[in-house]
Amino acid sequence: MRNTMKVAKWEIKRNMKNKTFLIGMFLTPVLIIGFILIGYLFNDSDSEEAETTKVIVNDQLDVFSELQATADQAGFNWQMHQTELEESKVKSELDGTENTAYLFIDDRAMTEGSVPVYTSEEIDQFFINQVQVLETPLKALQMKQLGLSDAELAIASSGISFEEAANENVAVTEEADTEEALGADPMERIVPGAFAGFIMLSIVFTGMAIFQSASQEKKDKIAEIILSSLTPAELMQGKIVGYFVLGIIQSVVSIGLVLPVLIWRIDIPIMEYLLVPELALLIGIAILGFLLFASIFVGIGATMADISTAGNFQGMVMMLPFLPFIFIGPVASDPSGLMAQIGTYIPFTSPGVLLLRLSMLDEWPWMEIVISLAILIVSVWIFMKLAGKIFKVGILMYGKNATPGEIWKWIRA
Amino acid sequence: METMLSVESLGKSFKDKQVISNISFEVQKGEIMAILGPNGAGKSTTIRNIMGIMYPDEGSIVFQNSNGKDIPRHIIGYLPEERGLYKNVKVMDILLYLAELKDYPLDKAKERALAYLKKFDLEGKEKVSVEELSKGMGQKVQFIASIIHEPELLILDEPFSGLDPVSQELFKDEIRNLADNGTAILLSSHQMNLVEEMADRLFMIHRGQKVIYGTMEDVKTQYANFKCTIHGKNDLYDLERIPEVQRVEQNDNTSILYLSKDVQPTIWLRNLPEDIVIQELAIDRVSLHEIFIDIATDKNLFQEAGEVNA
Repeated sequence: MRNTMKVAKWEIKRNMKNKTFLIGMFLTPVLIIGFILIGYLFNDSDSEEAETTKVIVNDQLDVFSELQATADQAGFNWQMHQTELEESKVKSELDGTENTAYLFIDDRAMTEGSVPVYTSEEIDQFFINQVQVLETPLKALQMKQLGLSDAELAIASSGISFEEAANENVAVTEEADTEEALGADPMERIVPGAFAGFIMLSIVFTGMAIFQSASQEKKDKIAEIILSSLTPAELMQGKIVGYFVLGIIQSVVSIGLVLPVLIWRIDIPIMEYLLVPELALLIGIAILGFLLFASIFVGIGATMADISTAGNFQGMVMMLPFLPFIFIGPVASDPSGLMAQIGTYIPFTSPGVLLLRLSMLDEWPWMEIVISLAILIVSVWIFMKLAGKIFKVGILMYGKNATPGEIWKWIRA
Repeated sequence: METMLSVESLGKSFKDKQVISNISFEVQKGEIMAILGPNGAGKSTTIRNIMGIMYPDEGSIVFQNSNGKDIPRHIIGYLPEERGLYKNVKVMDILLYLAELKDYPLDKAKERALAYLKKFDLEGKEKVSVEELSKGMGQKVQFIASIIHEPELLILDEPFSGLDPVSQELFKDEIRNLADNGTAILLSSHQMNLVEEMADRLFMIHRGQKVIYGTMEDVKTQYANFKCTIHGKNDLYDLERIPEVQRVEQNDNTSILYLSKDVQPTIWLRNLPEDIVIQELAIDRVSLHEIFIDIATDKNLFQEAGEVNA
């Protein structure tokens, strides 16, 4: 155990002194913050920089107040005026103006159903779409003139929509329940889940560095020197522990930088949601996920000297941590569905799918959680054993990559 | 003399191929013991079995001061045949890490590291990254790494390969120095001249089998017979009929006559037939180098003798 710690300490020290690692460590959160800020920047610019459109209405039907109300309701950035200008003179009036539009609302609107719109050369590109909104009050006026009663009017002006009829009432109520719950506090579950997911992602990515480190050991041909001082198992465990700590450091740095920005920009009591007992379980799942992938990576890393020489088999194993992405779609659409359950029970996808489901579900399926945790713990144990066997032989094999056949032989040995 | 390491009928096979078999030898305190053999003879395999990097199929390896089966890793220094160090770290950092793995106090390790760097002309390189070192410099750093913790047993696999003559001398002196201070040293090599100069005892291995084992003196008197080199055109048959000649190698006009062990050179020379053409004649002992080449090329002249006398 002491030797394990020495290796772990060395790996940590070595990486903390490595410029590439340091830059990567700070770059990730800075990029995240950058994206958050850029997003806000654009949002702000939309409302601030978009210029007001001057909408001048020649209203002969006396609907100006209704038009103005409709435009306000739609939230358009319009400045509306009334005018008595004649249509023939509008062209000359528009010359040299910007963001100005003239609407002529007269009998043509009632009889022909068209309103002439004259705009300056420069105008908001969405203006002609926006102006369609004014159809509603005009339509209402039109119908009123046709002599419909208010009741008839209401029916006629309400559109017809196609609705899916639910087969089971239960489903409907259930859905309503979750919606209600989510509506009440959707963030309460999502915040800790996202937090644990982030921790898992960042330690899985650091876990990929374990692979680098194990194959580097082969490439640098130093394994024999190191193994003259300690056992392969100690070296392997040391690497796993070391990179776990590096992953935690990476997460702490990221969270330390990103969280204040999030709290500042988003109006959710993040800290309150975050510091709940459930977080412990979520982080536990994340750590199990890390251990699983770390042992896979350290084993597979010992079978080759360079990622570029990886065979198909090794390449496929490398992709395992990304397997949960397949489940994101189905799980998101139905967190209790069959796909979600399958994903929960496959060790490679289990951490990711569990975190996703637990963030979305209000009622946690405790039975499933317990079963999948058991599966996860057993597979972590099995993969640690396997990785140990592969590492022991693989790390000393120079000059060539191991074939799946050879790896199988080592495992059986 | 205290025995630091004893290897008893070691055997190891890969798949169906027996790589080494029935290897037995001892390494004593303060001596330099050399394992010799051509490429692929099983030298590194033997050493890796000793270091616990491979596990032998047969036989036993016993370390002194070690209770039970554990290898006393902290008192062994090891320079493997595969040369390598972590690339992107500083020389001092890696030396201290390797010393730490051996449980050696760090302040002492630092002192020793600086002293040795100076000794090996690497003064001021302690803050340099390993990847900036030349191959020879890297090898020196590795050598320092293998002795930084004052090991009682030092195992060097091909320590001289890839070194220039100056560095070879440096290494040779330092190894001798360590042995004189009581370190037991086991080294493997195929550079006979160096081994001949420095080893106290040797173990020659070929195809995983012992060929010769004994002190340098014994080996020389036992195996290094006289040989006579004659320049001049002679018939092979005539030469072979000369008494005490075991074997003749002929190449153009040069013939080398290998003489039997008990030959008296003066008497033998006096009895040379008169009809032999001699432009030049030299008589000297067979060198270790020739014994080695002999064995490696399967001439088997000494193999029989070796087996009888072993």
